[in-house]
Amino acid sequence: MVGTKRSNNKLIIRYVIAGILLLVMVYPYLYMVLNSFADWSQVDKKLIPTDYSLKSYTWLFTGGDSGITRPWINAFLNSVIVSLLSTFLMMAFGVMVAYALSKLKWRGRDTVNNFIMFHMFFPSIILLIPSFLIVQKLGWYDSYWALIIPKGVSLWAIFMYTNFFKAVPTVFIEAARLDGASDFKILYKIMLPMSKSITTVVFLFLLMERWTELLWDMIMVSSDNMLTLNVLLSQMFGPYGTYPGPLYAGSVLLTVPIIIIFIIFGKNFQKGMQVSLK
Amino acid sequence: MKENNNRLGWLFASPYLIYSIVFFLLPLIYSFYLAFTNWDLIAPTYDYVGFDNFAKALKSPGVHAAFWVTYKFMVVFIPLVIVMSLVVALLVHSLPRFKSVFLIGFFLPYLSSGVVSSLIVKGLLSYNSPVNTALRSIGINIDWLGTAWSALLIVGLIMAWKFTGYYALILTSGLESIDHEVYEAAAIDGVTGRQRFWKITLPLLYPSIYTTLILAFGVTFGIFTEVYQLTGGGPNYATNTWQMEIYTQAFKNLQAGYASAVALLAAFATFVSIFIIRKLLEKWGARNGWN
Repeated sequence: MVGTKRSNNKLIIRYVIAGILLLVMVYPYLYMVLNSFADWSQVDKKLIPTDYSLKSYTWLFTGGDSGITRPWINAFLNSVIVSLLSTFLMMAFGVMVAYALSKLKWRGRDTVNNFIMFHMFFPSIILLIPSFLIVQKLGWYDSYWALIIPKGVSLWAIFMYTNFFKAVPTVFIEAARLDGASDFKILYKIMLPMSKSITTVVFLFLLMERWTELLWDMIMVSSDNMLTLNVLLSQMFGPYGTYPGPLYAGSVLLTVPIIIIFIIFGKNFQKGMQVSLK
Repeated sequence: MKENNNRLGWLFASPYLIYSIVFFLLPLIYSFYLAFTNWDLIAPTYDYVGFDNFAKALKSPGVHAAFWVTYKFMVVFIPLVIVMSLVVALLVHSLPRFKSVFLIGFFLPYLSSGVVSSLIVKGLLSYNSPVNTALRSIGINIDWLGTAWSALLIVGLIMAWKFTGYYALILTSGLESIDHEVYEAAAIDGVTGRQRFWKITLPLLYPSIYTTLILAFGVTFGIFTEVYQLTGGGPNYATNTWQMEIYTQAFKNLQAGYASAVALLAAFATFVSIFIIRKLLEKWGARNGWN
């Protein structure tokens, strides 16, 4: 009996330590949210502000004109459009290419496979300047095309799906083929439903990365009405530094949607991570 | 049937093939070409300048700084993030309930944009912030982002904060795959407590630690947002990463030719470093019988 009591105490201590650690790790988020609601005289002055107002949010949603009206709402919508379309393309193409690499037999498959490996381990930093010039030559500069198409293929997504598809027994595919199903149908009716858990992982990582991209989105557009939320926030960092309240409100606008999506998919995400790490 | 599959294979792979031609092979060739010109990103004409850009880059303080800053970030970031994620993983793994709630909670920092985390850190470290006011009252007055060592430390800390939960997730799934029988057998032999950690858990966790180390080293070669936002590469190049140097030269100083040469040097340094790091990690694992 004494033994269980001791181990119970030990457990409680562990939960307390884990709780404190977690609080420390999420404190920056709390600081952001509290400061976005803080009275402007208290922003960045206290660890926990005491006077609150909605001034920062009113400023964000009605004012702050920077060449166009309501730049923050506009930038938020840009981010939504760009991130969703980009992520959708990365996943659709990722699934297609992975199917070709794992379940179809064709001459050239090994060559393409090796080439993807080479591509993956190649330091992508070299590509930044020439990619910018190619986007310009294609006439995509300062348009959605520049933000979506060059970010429409993810090697990592191809890699993840290829590994996962390899583990799917070929019997399913052969049976479906005998029933006269086309490969497109097999892909979307059999392979995709089987890979739900990994799809959650790939989707969340891709969406998160696209949503928070800075360098590419920054150099690809110049007009005020084309900026993504992350870039607008980055640009406002300097000139509005003396009024940081709205910047915290903007940060909340940028951070909260992705956290909500993540928590919605949280359970599946964890399962998927376990599958993908095996 | 065979003919058909051949065509289908190329068709399904075509999105990648087109993409890799337009956004990988073409830019790759283009960058080698640009590196030998003095193009300024705007003018319609430019000259071929031979190896001038490379000669200039090898003598430039910005490039020297970029080369060393990467390794300095490794020294700060890698031990910090590995220890923190190990602590989180071991702690969470030892909890009988609410494991996923904690894991998801610790993962949340990974979802932050570098712009947002920089903004928060800048607020927390501004002159009149509660942190600095408290420190000044006990006689400590540090210009956190204007001092070389602290600027490096701060950026390293932000990265560690961001990646701890992600790596803890990888390590936890490694811990879960360790067979309970191993521990039971060890307990019979009298191996417990600290010895159990060093002799059993850590060696069996090697594959997961290897994965996190590879990911973590990769991160140090791609730091941009936090540095761009907080220090601009300063003070005096103390946080000037490769990405920062290339961005500044190409898009601020409009020296596209020169920046392309710097990018080639950066890619070379990155490639060689990653290769050596991988070899060392494999050797380390093999020596301890962890492979």
